[in-house]
Amino acid sequence: MADIMGRTDLEGRIVYRHSIVARLSHWLWALSLLVLVMSGLQIFNAAPYLDASDKSDPAKRVFAIVGGSLPGGTEPVGMVYLFGHTFRTTGILGYTDDGLGGRTFRAFPGWLTLPAYQDLASGRLWHFFFAWVLVLALVAYAIEMTRRRGWRELVMRPEDFPKVIPMLLYYLRLRKEPPPHGTYNPLQKLTYNIVLFVMMPLAVVTGLALSPGVDAIANPLTVILGGRQFARLWHFVIMLLFVGYFFVHMGLVLTTGVWNNLRSMITGYYRLGKGDGVGP
Amino acid sequence: MKRRLFVSSSLSAIALTGCGVGNALTQNQTVRTILNSAETIDYHLIGTRGMAKEYTEADISPTFRTNGFATPSSSLYIGYVEDGFASYRLVVDGLVEHKRAFSIAQLRAMPLVTQITRHDCVEGWSVIGKFRGVRLGHVLSIVKPRPEARYVIFHCMDVDDTGTPYYESLDLTQAAHPQTILALDLNDKPIDPDHGAPVRLKIPTQLGYKSAKWVNRIEVASTFSHLYSGKGGYWEDNGYNWYAGI
Repeated sequence: MADIMGRTDLEGRIVYRHSIVARLSHWLWALSLLVLVMSGLQIFNAAPYLDASDKSDPAKRVFAIVGGSLPGGTEPVGMVYLFGHTFRTTGILGYTDDGLGGRTFRAFPGWLTLPAYQDLASGRLWHFFFAWVLVLALVAYAIEMTRRRGWRELVMRPEDFPKVIPMLLYYLRLRKEPPPHGTYNPLQKLTYNIVLFVMMPLAVVTGLALSPGVDAIANPLTVILGGRQFARLWHFVIMLLFVGYFFVHMGLVLTTGVWNNLRSMITGYYRLGKGDGVGP
Repeated sequence: MKRRLFVSSSLSAIALTGCGVGNALTQNQTVRTILNSAETIDYHLIGTRGMAKEYTEADISPTFRTNGFATPSSSLYIGYVEDGFASYRLVVDGLVEHKRAFSIAQLRAMPLVTQITRHDCVEGWSVIGKFRGVRLGHVLSIVKPRPEARYVIFHCMDVDDTGTPYYESLDLTQAAHPQTILALDLNDKPIDPDHGAPVRLKIPTQLGYKSAKWVNRIEVASTFSHLYSGKGGYWEDNGYNWYAGI
C-alpha cells in the first residue's frame, strides 16, 4: 500500500482497512460492553446509590434511585435523587419493570439489566466473565496494532489537533470539504484515543478497585480514586460515558455511509470517502 | 398513530425477547459453568495476597451497618445472651489432632489483635469498623489440622426463613492470613447480638458474606461438598461465588 500512502486523491478506492483481529476485537468489545453495562446495572440495583465516602455516611450520598409511597399516599412511586434534587421517575426508575412482566420497586428496569429479573449473583457472573473478554480482546488488539505498526495511523499527532474543529464543522454540514487526513480523520482519532487510552483503562481500574482482594494487593490504586465508594462512583460515570459514546458512534456510523462502515467492520474492506487517505 | 403503535409495540417486543433471552441464558447450566470459569482465574490471580488497608480511628463509621439474616432467636441463642455467653463454647473439630471447645474467657486469654478495616458488602456498600479478636491461624495452630485438611468451615447459629443455617468456608491459605480473625469486639465493645455475638469471623480481604456471624462451630475438613448444596457456603449455595475476593 506504500504507493497510495499519504495521497489525498483516493476517493472511491476500496482499501483493506481492518485486519481480522481488529474486526473480531471490535465486535467482542461491542458484545462485552453491552453485557457489562446491563449486568453492571443489575449489580447497581443491589445498592442503588452512590456514596462519596467509605464510611457508609448518608450525608455523603450523591445519587440514589428510590421507590416507595409518598407520605399520605398509597400509589407506588419511583424517584431519583441527584446532588440534593429529586425527580419523579415512576415507571422508568425506582418503580418499574421487574423483568418478568410485572412491576416492582427496583432501581433500573428489567429491560436494561442482565438478567432481567433481580439477581445479583447472576449479574456478577456475567460481569466478571465479560470483564475478562473485554480485557483479552483489548490485549489482542494492542498486540495486533503493535505487530502491524498500526498505532501511527490511530494515535493523535500534534498536527491533527488544528484539524479537529474543521472536521467537526464538516460533520455538522457547516463546511464543504473535510480536512485531508490519513486512515482515520482527526475527530475519529481523538474519539478513539479517548475511548481506548482513557475510558477503557479507567473502566478496568475503577472496577478492580472495587475488589477487596485487589485492594489488598494494590491499595494505592483505591486511594488515588478516593476510596472504594468513590471508585464505584467513577465506575458508574465511565459507564455513562460509554453509553454516551455508543450513541455518538451509532449516529456517525449511520450518517457517514452505513453500508460502507458495516462492510469495513465485517470484511475489512472500506471505500475511501472525501478527504480519506491511507496512513498516519 | 398506527405507525407509532407499531413502532412502540415492536420495541417492547424486542425488549421482551431480549429479556427472555438474557433470563434463559442466565438459567442455562452450561452458560453458568462457562461464566463461572472467571472465578477460577480470579482465585488464582488475585487470591488472598497482600494486606487489607488498615484505617485510623477517625475513619470509623458512626454506625456499623448490619446485613444478612436476623439475629438468631433460637432458645439456644437466647440462653447464651441471657447468661452473657458464659455457657457458650466454640467447638473446633473435624480433621484436627486435638478437638477443642473454647469458652469466651479462653478465647480472650489468647493473643488478641486489632484491625480497623473496611467491610465490603457484595451489594456494593462499605463500612469501616474496628475489630479485635484472635487470629484464626492461632486457633488452628492449637488444634493442629491433619495433613489431609483443606478447608475450614464455619457453622453459624442463624437460620434463613426456611430454617436453613448459615455457614461459610475458607481454604487453609485464607484461614492462615494474618488479618483473618475470630472477632470478639467491635468498636471497643464486645460484639453485640446484631453484629454476630459472641464470635464472628472477620476476613477483610474478601466480601462481607464471608465474614460469618454467630459462629459456634469450626469444622476442619478436606471438602465441603457434603454440606447442604455443597458449594461451601449459604450464599454460595444460592449462586454467589465461593471466591469472594472480587
